[in-house]
Order: sequence, then structure tokens, then C-alpha cells
Amino acid sequence: MKLSTQHLLGIKNLTREDISLILSTAQDFKDVLQRPVKKVPSLRDITIVNLFFENSTRTRMSFELAERRLSADVLNFTASASSVAKGETLLDTVNNILSMKVDMVVMRHSASGAPHFLAKHIPAAIVNAGDGINEHPTQALLDAFSMKEKTGRLEGLKVAIIGDIMHSRVALSNIYLLTKMGVEVTVAGPPTLIPKYLTDALDVRVEYNVKKALQWCDVANVLRIQLERQSQPLFSSLREYSLAYGINRRMLESLNKEIVIMHPGPINRGVELDSDVADGPSSIILNQVENGVAVRMAALYLLANREN
Amino acid sequence: MNILLRQVLIADASSPLNGQTQDILIEQGVITAIEPSIAAKDGVQEISAAGLTASAGWVDLFAHLCDPGIEYRETLESGAAAAAAGGYTEVFVLPNTQPVVHNKTQVEYIVQKSNALPVTLRPLGAVTKGIEGKELAEMYDMQNSGAIAFSDGIYPVQSPGLLLKALQYVKAFNGVVIQVPADDSIGKYGLMHEGIISTQLGLPGIPALAEELMVHRDIELLRYTGSQLHITGVSTENSLRMIAAAKAEGLQITCSATPYHVSFCDEDLQTYDTNLKVTPPLRSRADMLALREAVKSGVVDCIASHHIPQNWDHKTCEFEYAKAGMAGLQTAFAAVLTAIPGLSAERIAQLFGGNARSVFALEPATVQKGATANITLFSTGGSTTLSKQNNKSKSYNTPFLDKALKGQVIGIIHKGQLHLNK
Repeated sequence: MKLSTQHLLGIKNLTREDISLILSTAQDFKDVLQRPVKKVPSLRDITIVNLFFENSTRTRMSFELAERRLSADVLNFTASASSVAKGETLLDTVNNILSMKVDMVVMRHSASGAPHFLAKHIPAAIVNAGDGINEHPTQALLDAFSMKEKTGRLEGLKVAIIGDIMHSRVALSNIYLLTKMGVEVTVAGPPTLIPKYLTDALDVRVEYNVKKALQWCDVANVLRIQLERQSQPLFSSLREYSLAYGINRRMLESLNKEIVIMHPGPINRGVELDSDVADGPSSIILNQVENGVAVRMAALYLLANREN
Repeated sequence: MNILLRQVLIADASSPLNGQTQDILIEQGVITAIEPSIAAKDGVQEISAAGLTASAGWVDLFAHLCDPGIEYRETLESGAAAAAAGGYTEVFVLPNTQPVVHNKTQVEYIVQKSNALPVTLRPLGAVTKGIEGKELAEMYDMQNSGAIAFSDGIYPVQSPGLLLKALQYVKAFNGVVIQVPADDSIGKYGLMHEGIISTQLGLPGIPALAEELMVHRDIELLRYTGSQLHITGVSTENSLRMIAAAKAEGLQITCSATPYHVSFCDEDLQTYDTNLKVTPPLRSRADMLALREAVKSGVVDCIASHHIPQNWDHKTCEFEYAKAGMAGLQTAFAAVLTAIPGLSAERIAQLFGGNARSVFALEPATVQKGATANITLFSTGGSTTLSKQNNKSKSYNTPFLDKALKGQVIGIIHKGQLHLNK
């Protein structure tokens, strides 16, 4: 089976079949990662560049590990240590790298649509590792993989996405993916952090009361407050945010039911999640990180395979 | 130069021959005869074309010719050539140059350069010094030197207190203030119209409210001051409703629409096409359709090209980093006719020139015997395709490049000269 697309720009343009294919392939790679020898030769003729125009720890390491476990040749690029700092344009940067015979580009960029722009102008396959406030497709795939692994299903599941919805590419990719897979989605957070037209644009419900959202859901995917993306103040203080929207153990205990807690990291401990929740029995945050490698291996493998 | 126009439809509400098809003889820049049939003469250039229509010369009231200071994007010469090819005989040029047009020296530079160009360039003087939105510029002096109206161009006056003073101030000399409706404090960080599409594309939105609040506010300031205001780049249905009501009330308000707002809507941004990044942003489909109706009905008085040339680098980049604006002088007519195919020749003549002439009290131009020839020749038949070869502007940041559009500008007759396309 093959993907319907040549690039992984977002979940928006994937079909349900594409998503299922990536998730099932990820399961195969997860099995590989349990073996003593965790490496397969699948991409040994492929060169991949990781272009990171924004800071990242988890995603960059996860991609790099996935690439190496698939035996690809890997080139790492960080904007701050490159000619971009000297004013080189994105297109020039990428064309220069491509002239060194690179097959795939994994890119994180602060501007929404930057990978779409590249896809229009260069011949290599593009994998979006997060673009502005638009999408972060591999995060949504690994979140879905982790939800399914923990609860045994996606169809019919109730997922609450909590926090800064407006500035979160994780939220948008999650909403696209989950609603395509038959999951019910509610988003919760302060009204200033929820796009006004969200319920018109996407099949989700909006809740301003976090407690009610938690009571409703099976899984809570808690997002990071992205202070660095807020060009103007959207809530009064982190203190007030944590009082009104932060999740603590007492709140979870009062639900009288078990829910799964997820977070894409990095966590602002004591703001959106208290430490005893992040590290508690309901949390699958580290499983998400583990699954990230298998999911990214699947995505890269399928994209490379499509080209051959 | 003597010219004989063969069987030309006259589209000019100010002429008694409006709607008639006649031969027109122009000798030494003056219309000397309009008759059903005029005999050919030696030394007279004859022009005939299918659907040949003549109206008073067209006027664009919002074009950025970038000169002085930003000449890599446009110069007065290249902009004038693009305007002539687009059918314009007069163009209002934006003050957003370097230095800005905020005193008589800059006004005189444009007026003087204009003398040697095929079209008449009329400078818009800045409302505020340095276009900083803080203090009034010397508008009276600029008007005396040739400024046609006053505007801070692509950076509209944000402070209501200052705009109030500006509207009051220009009353002494019947000045008109032109504003693009965009409230910075609401839309500042947005990249496209806020709505379903911006949510789906993960682009920060500019609410329609950012425009409507300013339209509402500016109408209130106009009512208070009893001055004259022209709003250009109107893009939402609600703005149109407010402007129509203000007109009905008798306020001296007029407005113009851009070719791009009647041609595109936010749905066209699905591929992050930077050529469609404009100010005000492309609105919803409903807004676009309402704007087309308003162009037909007369709520919209004029078409303003909002010609904002940008060079390749500033458009071939990430959407967020791309500069806003679209080159439009050369395609304005064909783009509007393509979007709104039913427009009559007479309505086209009003939208592209007639109304602007009366709003801004320009010298009258008319297609009548004895008048100085200031004429645009066009046809609602045929087609126009802008290509890199026939593009006169220094920039080609337009989605209309290599696209066949309806209608064609055949040429202009102005300053005693004939400029034919092709």
C-alpha cells in the first residue's frame, strides 16, 4: 500500500486510509524497536536533511533517531548556526542543500505554510515537523498511535484538547486527525486562546470550563502555553491561567473516573499541568515520546517508498 | 497627430452623444468632428476595432509608483507605462515613498516628472508628517502645489482625534481625505481574513471587524466634521451597508473597490499563494459577491487599482514574510470585467473615471466636439493576457499573469498623443 501524497505537509490533506497505513506501519516499526538490533536497512540509499528553523529537542532528536534506525544518511541543519543568520532566503538555503543530492527534507519553521511553499518550488519530498500555528502532523500521528495503544481504539473515543488552541499546531493536526478517524473532540481553554471560527471550520465542540471537559473525556491532551507565539497578551498571568485552566491531582480525583493524560512537551510544570499529574499513573507522556520514533520511521519509510 | 476613430461607441454620461456609435476625428489633440461617417484624409491615422468604445480618460486613484526611493519596484516612468496600457490617462500616486510625499517639494517632483509622461500623475499628499500618524502635514501648501487629495496611503490614519482634525482642516480648501479601512489594533498580527479558511490553514486572522470598526468610526467623524471622505479598498458586506446608509443620509462619502476584492476570496488562499496577500485581506465568498453587487448597483463609486508592485524576492518566500500588495494597473479593467461580466460600457466609464472626476473635481473630460481629447479606447469583447513580455510595470506580482481575461484596453489618447496597446 502507498500513501496518497508525495509530501507530509499536514494531516489536512491525508485520507483516512493514509492515517491507518501510517499507524499500522508504525506498529511494525515499534516491534522492530523492541529487538536487540533496532536498525533496518530500508532507507540506506536515501539522504535526509533535518532543517530546523525553530528550536526543538524532542522532535529533532526523534526524527534523527528514526532516520538513523532506517539507515538513511542524515544531515542536520540549525538556522541559528547557518547562513540564514546572514540573511539567506529559505529557497536559497534549501536549493543549496538539495544540490548536494538530498532526497528528503524534514522541516520545522515558524511560518505557517512554509513547507507548502517549499513543496511548490523544490523536487524533494517534504515532511512538515511543525509550521507556525498550522500543523505538526507527526505529533498528531504519534498522539493517535499512543491513544490507540492505551485505550485500544480510536473510533468513538472522546478526546479533550486543553489549553492554547489558537497558537498550537498540535491542536490543529490533532483535530484533523481525530475527526477523520471518528473520534469526538472537545477543545477547552480561555476564550482568547480559542479561534473564533473553530466550530464553523472543524467538527469540534468548545468548552471554557476545563473541569467539565475532563469529566466528559476519555483522554485529555494538554497543550503547552506558547508564550513565545503571543504577540499581544491573551490572558492576565500564568498564575491566573494555572488557577483557572491548570490540571492538578485533586481535580483528576474528583472526576470519579480514570482518564488518560497526554502532553506533547515541553511541559510548563505548575502552569498547564502539575508535576504529580504529569508524572502520575494516568500520564502516558513518555510513551508518546517513545512512540514518536516508530511513527516517524513509518512516515519516512512510506514517503520514500512512494518515490521508488 | 490626427486620428480618426471609426464606428466607435461613445460611453460618456456627460456627452449628449452617449450610447451612440459615430466616427470621431481628433486633430492636434482636439475633437473636431463627431459624425455618423467621416471621410478618410491623408495624414490621419484611422483606428477601427470590433466593439471599439470611447470614454473620457480613466482615472486611477490609488497606485503606488514607489518613486522616489523604492525604484527597484517601480518608477514613475514604468508605472505610467503600465497605467497607459491599462487605459488610464490620470493616476493618483501614493505618498508612501522614501521620502514620503508630505510637503510641496515632493509634490512638485511628481508634478514636474508627470509632464514628460504619457499619463498625468497626480500626487496624493500625506495627511500626517512622515506618515507617522502623529501631526498634520502641510496639506494646504501641498494642495496649492498640485496634490489632488490626502491620504496616508497604505498606512491609514489610526488616531480618531487626528483624523477628525484632518477632516476639519481640509474643508478650508475642499480637500478630500482617502482612507484604507484597516484598524491596526485589531488586525495587526493577522495574515489573512479571519474565518473558516484561516482557521483551517493555521494562519492568524484579520477580523472583518478591523475594517468595519474603522468604516463606522470614519463615518462618525465625517458626520461630525461635514467634510469629504473617500474610503478605498472596501471589502466587506457590512462596510458596504454602512457606506450606503451614510450616502443615503447625505454625507459626502464615496468609496472604491479593488479588482482583487471582486475577483478573489479567502478560499483562494488554500495554497498560500503570496500574490493573494493584500490589504485589506481577501474576504469571504459572501463579501466578494456582495462587493460585485455593489459595483453593479453604484454603492461602489470607483474601481481603484491598489497597484502595489513588489519584487520577486518579497513574494517568493514564506506567506508570513511576503509583503502585501498586488500589481494591478495593467489588468484592472479586464479583471473587473471578468469578475463582473455584465457591466455596461457606460457603467465601466463611470467606475473607471467619470465618478472619480467628479469626486475629486478633476478637469472635466468628455467625448464631445470641441473638447480636448482625453479618451480611453476599450472593448468589452476580446481578451487580455498579461505576460512577462507585455508587462510594463517593473514588477509582476499578480495572479493574473498569463491568464486570459475578458475585455481589452485598446489605447489612450491624452496630451495630444495616441498610445495603442500592441
